[in-house]
Amino acid sequence: MANIILDELGFAYPGALEPTLLPLSVEIKDGEAFALLGASGAGKTTLLNLLSGLLVPTTGRILFNGVDVSSQSGSERNLAQVFQFPVLYESLTIADNLAFPLRARKAVNGFSAVDIASRVAKIAGELEIENLLKRKPKTLSLFQKQLVAIGRALMRPDVSVVLLDEPLTAVEPRTKWQLRQSLKRLQEELGVTMIYVTHDQTEALTFADRVAVMADGKILQTASPQEVYEQPAHEFVGFFIGSPGMNFVAIDSAIPAPMYAASGVDQFAQRIGFRPEWARLEHPPMTHPLSAVHWLGRVTHCQILGTQDGVPVGITTLASEVGELKVRGAINATVGEEIMVVVDRCVSFCAEHYVATHYAQSSTSQLTNPVGNE
Amino acid sequence: MAINKPYNNRAWLGVLPVLLIVAFSAVIPLMTVVNYSVQDILDFNSRFYVGLDWYRETLQDPRFIEAFGRQVLFSLSVLAIEIPLGILVARGLPKNGAWTSVLLILLAVPLLIPWNVVGTIWQIYARSDIGLLGVGLNELGLAFNYTSNPTHAWLTLIAMDVWHWTSLVALLSFAGLTSVPPAYYQAAELDGASKWQVFRYVEMPRLSGVLVIAVLLRLMDSFMIYTEPFVLTGGGPGNATTFLSQYLATMAVGQFDLGPAAAFSVIYFLFILLFCWIFYNSVMLDGTVDESEARHHD
Repeated sequence: MANIILDELGFAYPGALEPTLLPLSVEIKDGEAFALLGASGAGKTTLLNLLSGLLVPTTGRILFNGVDVSSQSGSERNLAQVFQFPVLYESLTIADNLAFPLRARKAVNGFSAVDIASRVAKIAGELEIENLLKRKPKTLSLFQKQLVAIGRALMRPDVSVVLLDEPLTAVEPRTKWQLRQSLKRLQEELGVTMIYVTHDQTEALTFADRVAVMADGKILQTASPQEVYEQPAHEFVGFFIGSPGMNFVAIDSAIPAPMYAASGVDQFAQRIGFRPEWARLEHPPMTHPLSAVHWLGRVTHCQILGTQDGVPVGITTLASEVGELKVRGAINATVGEEIMVVVDRCVSFCAEHYVATHYAQSSTSQLTNPVGNE
Repeated sequence: MAINKPYNNRAWLGVLPVLLIVAFSAVIPLMTVVNYSVQDILDFNSRFYVGLDWYRETLQDPRFIEAFGRQVLFSLSVLAIEIPLGILVARGLPKNGAWTSVLLILLAVPLLIPWNVVGTIWQIYARSDIGLLGVGLNELGLAFNYTSNPTHAWLTLIAMDVWHWTSLVALLSFAGLTSVPPAYYQAAELDGASKWQVFRYVEMPRLSGVLVIAVLLRLMDSFMIYTEPFVLTGGGPGNATTFLSQYLATMAVGQFDLGPAAAFSVIYFLFILLFCWIFYNSVMLDGTVDESEARHHD
């Protein structure tokens, strides 16, 4: 297990006009569950390949426990990786697959056959795959195979870091949740440093202690899932995370100056963003305080996701003077109806970067409690 | 509910072309040979039924037994060299890039040369008076002469076959190797696998399928080898490189002993069939065991 420091790490393919990865610095703590989140093309696979030793950085260094490993091979770094699809030794039984990393390094680690057998039993027990040990990979389901692949990555007690490259891609949706649980539990129990690369925000936010959101070869924000969600450092983070993402409204044109001044939005802010659940729909007469930012909108679409206390809840889409807005919560309007969108909480941005969080002053409604981190 | 099954025997007509082709290309010629093999044919008007005499005679013929022994030795020798060498060459090829296609084309060249030309090339190449290889070896102080020394003749033949056919094994193996996803190599590297372990546990499982084909093809082809030794050594010195096909040709074409030659052919055919059957089953046995195990577990 290792503490990992990326020091001004960057990468450019030879002959490429622009670097694939702009120099970035991150520290990943020993035993931390860290997620790299970004759309395809964001540079997360490049970063992963730099970590696994497949690529050599063109600038900067990678430190494992203070040692520069930038030019070491993956096996020298003593790391393990789980791939998008299960990678198993097809001719070996599951038990032999699990034992493989320990047997291959026997000369270095000095593991005896007894040590290896007990470690296999321990990991198989943790993943609840004891009944599969005698079988061959081709008799397993995709889900079981990926469990075994994860198990093999966790076999070495001294592994420096486990890299997970979108490990749930090939797993069917119903079992994704289950595998995510197993992974999170194991990470906590074994205290392994894990770096989880994914484009799926749910996976990243539920798995990680900290998430790094990437776009265009840069890390836009590195923070806890809650912080990433509530205080996006960059407009892209607010837009990318959340389903649907944040609503953005430009200040200059759309919000009358007194309205945002009363809400405490800084005069330098250029845009505000609010999560669909930070706003609510209200029929006249208005009960919202004058200080809350509000617009009139016409309902164009209602997406019901369920009910709460007998009231349908979901996402209401409205067309307003400031563009399309999405509001999450109780659906109390019908398509075509005009209704007021009241924003209880918002964040402001200047030059696409986060400035501050603002709450509507002393709201009368209990709905103003932020529910963003749910 | 009764199933209304249309009966129409005209459907048989659809199979007829295939039946005809197979009959003319395989069954009838084979049966003709079987027919010849139980007769003593003096000329077209005087033939006598002799039962299994020719078979008995062939199997007891010391020249047949010797040729058969040489044949087995030759096939095993070239297989033992070509299969590992082919895999080695395939592993040495770059997986992608400009060089890959160039090298693949170069590798395919020996396979495209007519067999008697291959024999001629080596016949000249190995000659101790004018051939590059023969003269070169003699210059090095080795008294190399494949026309008089049986060992040298054998070595030349094996070298020629290896030169001619290793490419086939290499190309097939290369196809097998390209089916290994890069992640498998990376996983093995991260697990700390040695080069041998990578070959044994990552590549071999993916190669086994094409290797079965490679071994079968090379086994059958080398067991039937005729043209190249005929051009290169003519079966000599003495009978040192006379293989089954050549002995058969001498009998059938040279001496016009149709009966014994036919019996010989049938025996020859059955041997090849037997070899392939044994090999195929022994290889496929693993697979089927695993399959049934899989069904049992699921």
